[in-house]
Amino acid sequence: MSHYDSYVTDVLVIGAGLAGERAAVEAATQGLNVIILSLVPPRRSHSSAAQGGMQASLGNTAMGKGDSPDVHFMDTVKGSDWGCDQDVARLFVNTAPTAVREMAHWGVPWTRVTMDKKIYDGKEIYEDPEKVGLIAARNFGGTAKWRTCYTADGTGHTLLYTMDSMVLKLGITVHDRVEALSLIHDDEQCYGAVVRCLRSGDLRVYTAKTTVIATGGYGRLYGASTNAIINEGSGMALALDTGVVPLGNMEAVQFHPTGIVPSWILITEGARGDGGYLLDKNLHRFMPDYEPVKKELASRDVVSRRIMQHIRDGYGVESPYGEHVWLDIRHLGAKHINTNLREIANICKNFRGIDPVTDLIPVRPTQHYSMGGVRTNIDGQAYGLRNLFALGEAACWDLHGFNRLGGNSLAETVVAGKIVGHQIARYTKEVSPDVKFSLMEEHLHQQVDRVKRLQSCQDGTENVYQLRREMEGILSRNVGIFRSEGPLQEAVSALHDLYERSLHIGLRGGGQGGDPELGAALRLPGMIRLAYCIALGALAREESRGSHFREDFPKRDDENWLKRTLAYWPPGADSPVLQYEPVKITESPPGDRGYGESSRASATDKPR
Amino acid sequence: MENRAVLLPQTNRDDWGENMMHARTLTIRIMRYNPAEPETKPYLQDFQLTEEPGMTLFVVLNKLREEQDPTLRFDFVCRAAICGSCGMLVNGKPTLACKTLTKDLPETTTLLPLPVFKLIGDLSVDTGVWFRDVSLRTESWIHTDTVFDPDAEEERMDNDVAQKIYEAERCIECGCCIGGCATANIKPNFIGAAGVNRVARFMLDPRDQRTDREYLELVGTDDGVFGCVGLMACDDNCPVGIPLRDQLAYVRRKMAQSAWNLGKTK
Amino acid sequence: MQLQKAMAHNPRMDVIVEGIQMVSGLLLVVFLWTHMLFVAAIWLGVNAFNTLAHFMDVFGLLPATVVFLILVIGAHIGAVIRRVPRQWQEQKILWRHAKLIHHSDTWSWLFQAITGTALLALAIVHMAVVTYGGIDANLSSSRVHGGFLVFYAVLLLLSEYHASVGLYRVFVKWGWVDRHSLKRVLTVVSLLTVVIGAVTLWIFYVLGANA
Repeated sequence: MSHYDSYVTDVLVIGAGLAGERAAVEAATQGLNVIILSLVPPRRSHSSAAQGGMQASLGNTAMGKGDSPDVHFMDTVKGSDWGCDQDVARLFVNTAPTAVREMAHWGVPWTRVTMDKKIYDGKEIYEDPEKVGLIAARNFGGTAKWRTCYTADGTGHTLLYTMDSMVLKLGITVHDRVEALSLIHDDEQCYGAVVRCLRSGDLRVYTAKTTVIATGGYGRLYGASTNAIINEGSGMALALDTGVVPLGNMEAVQFHPTGIVPSWILITEGARGDGGYLLDKNLHRFMPDYEPVKKELASRDVVSRRIMQHIRDGYGVESPYGEHVWLDIRHLGAKHINTNLREIANICKNFRGIDPVTDLIPVRPTQHYSMGGVRTNIDGQAYGLRNLFALGEAACWDLHGFNRLGGNSLAETVVAGKIVGHQIARYTKEVSPDVKFSLMEEHLHQQVDRVKRLQSCQDGTENVYQLRREMEGILSRNVGIFRSEGPLQEAVSALHDLYERSLHIGLRGGGQGGDPELGAALRLPGMIRLAYCIALGALAREESRGSHFREDFPKRDDENWLKRTLAYWPPGADSPVLQYEPVKITESPPGDRGYGESSRASATDKPR
Repeated sequence: MENRAVLLPQTNRDDWGENMMHARTLTIRIMRYNPAEPETKPYLQDFQLTEEPGMTLFVVLNKLREEQDPTLRFDFVCRAAICGSCGMLVNGKPTLACKTLTKDLPETTTLLPLPVFKLIGDLSVDTGVWFRDVSLRTESWIHTDTVFDPDAEEERMDNDVAQKIYEAERCIECGCCIGGCATANIKPNFIGAAGVNRVARFMLDPRDQRTDREYLELVGTDDGVFGCVGLMACDDNCPVGIPLRDQLAYVRRKMAQSAWNLGKTK
Repeated sequence: MQLQKAMAHNPRMDVIVEGIQMVSGLLLVVFLWTHMLFVAAIWLGVNAFNTLAHFMDVFGLLPATVVFLILVIGAHIGAVIRRVPRQWQEQKILWRHAKLIHHSDTWSWLFQAITGTALLALAIVHMAVVTYGGIDANLSSSRVHGGFLVFYAVLLLLSEYHASVGLYRVFVKWGWVDRHSLKRVLTVVSLLTVVIGAVTLWIFYVLGANA
């Protein structure tokens, strides 16, 4: 087989969500040739599902008065439990307001400040008449000010559509329904990717001066996740596969407090931001008992943990899908629910058959976001391989440390896209490509060979879907919100076996053309490798920080663990190798977050 | 605190099981076609499975693929009625499969791919390519001469205007309005309700500087809003509830007015 | 835009054709309803009907109406023809589509195309007969009794259906009214007109039988 299509470009962006498209727009604006690859039509990317909003310290609303990048910085660092890179956080908070305004210039219909009467938590809010018509903000968890800019109930949707309209305007080439299978590299430089067309099944070779990974998170490694089904960490797996690029902080997995039971579709934090309550089986609002100051709006890791703790204490509502708690937004009124929270109303009606205007919503913490990813420096350059960049949820730029604040992920995609996109453009202009034909052929043939082996069941007859369910189960059961040595140890050894079995998958359907089973089989070993990195990283980290909570080590341990996990997968190895690097602290030394377990200890234990 | 006398909310009733004691056996009749094998004509294939509580077609199709036929092709992404990937004909009605609950379906359900769009295989169609083409033809982006000033405060906008733009922008490009449209089925260049609605979004936007005449050339044609014969299958089938009929009428009136004004200035 | 298109281009063309279709359609509806009221003069007796006919004759309204109809129907057909699926292939697609999506408004459009075509033929016959024979209650009643009853009944039903659906579409396309209540109102109005027409026909039939 030597007949295949090949494409040459300056910049190859893998992933057409907000981060990938923003970076592509930046590079194309600077005169570079860009090709974007996408699993799905760009506007179907998971970015569109972000309902809540995007943080930027514009300070236009009354409740955001006095906001500044400095306040945003402290919220972000605290939220990360001091696990983030403070240089990155600083750059991010300083750029966010410009990025939001730029999106307004490109066409996002941000919700604006009005003088309409607003009641929040029983108090009326009076807006400044001078600010009417400027970009408004809503309240989100873990923030000192109202800072989350939004478009009604569809922030991600409008951001993505606007961004994609810029991609169209600039005439950037987009190849949709394709999937990257491997990075073409020689252990020093990256030269592009081997790609499978999901329409025809044909393999293609893309060569580029710089390759950019913007494939989003790995939520679907877990059985219950709020993520779209395409969020399988494919970009991270590509990078890990090279053997030389590390993944950072893979054990940092965020669980969103409110996934609807049992389809696990996200109920946005906007629900609580706009004043929603969490109730237990006695309809008692329990969050103020644990978090007297932030209540339902402590950071996500804390709220998720409090819910699970409350359920463990016997206050959960029983259901065939496990115990859950209630989310109550009835008091916000029909008008508010059907406009600003319309998406929630729709989800409740479509997928649960209830109306949040009159009914309570059954919710439980659900896997939501991966703070970890391809480790990069502040410019977005991946560690270990030249000409490779990563950004967005796929990357560990390290803005989020061990817990991401709501509204900071949409903001990261656009802000990092702008910053890293600029660096990509600058960098690409100085690169002269010298890819060897033999290297391309070698990488292509590896994939051709894999496909043939799977089609002919040469390595075995393991069922890809069955292995996948097992992996999901292991992570969900053993590497969830509460972690401890025993279950983690169990997960690691189970994943070890599972990985070995995944090398013996055989297809049942023949795998011709753009066959979906073949796609799943090509993806699964990489997914299990990611799962392995998560479990091993969690087992090794003997402390609790942000979303990583070890019951056997319930305290944060800055002395030994103020460091970032780097997971490598050496070529041919059967397990990952962990290394560590220090976390950069520039402005804010580790301290008390003001919410969460430490706050309770310091608040001299109010009786519940 | 254990006040048991609290009134229970409506949802506290046990409606989880939807009484699955007598679970139905569903027959799902799916159109099979592989364009790579054009000699095999499209045909309907029956699959059987047991209904579960809260089951949607997303669950059904994945179960069928994983347990019965791994070659079955269909598209889902968000599975939450946000991304617009899974438009198909469910017993003839263009809708999103992910939000179709089996409890609302009869025992035998026929699933067909959306018409108009290029068939990729079975239930999978190329909506993305179709919509990209329409977006390009209608130049669906903000046309402006102003240059972004990173240091300036954002331009003000009345919130009502923002809401109106958003109302049109909510389209998720699932293609249900196109697949159900008789005109779109026979006129390959017709931009359909989604296309007209997309242009309406920019017409409403004060940031877009295109003139009435430019819009008239863009959508005041037989491939645009005047291609519509008013069958309103779009309005009846939009799964996100965009008032497409209002949007079409708005653009139609606006175009008539532009043409009138153009006639007067001649 | 291609060169040839740009040279021959008038951006208002499609709006104008749409306008012609709508205005001609509305005029025909107005004509149809007036016509129904005029022939219903027979309710008041043969003399009333003949007086009205005579009145029309004196003022030359009959030929004027015929000219008006030829022009308006011509314009209507000219404007509508671009919409009607002309090729066999398109017809096939449309029928299959209507069967597939179970959507009543789509069916009604197919019927509208059919009724429109049929109406053209029926209207030509009707106009020729009336122009040739003139308007007179006796003539009409003997025609209706002498085998034309079915012809007029079909003409009545088809024209009312076509007018009702056409009117509905005009309102739907240009906005302003809720289309589901519009549908109900139009159905009632059309049924009323059909009843008026049917009663009229019946009177003529009885008159013819008694003559």
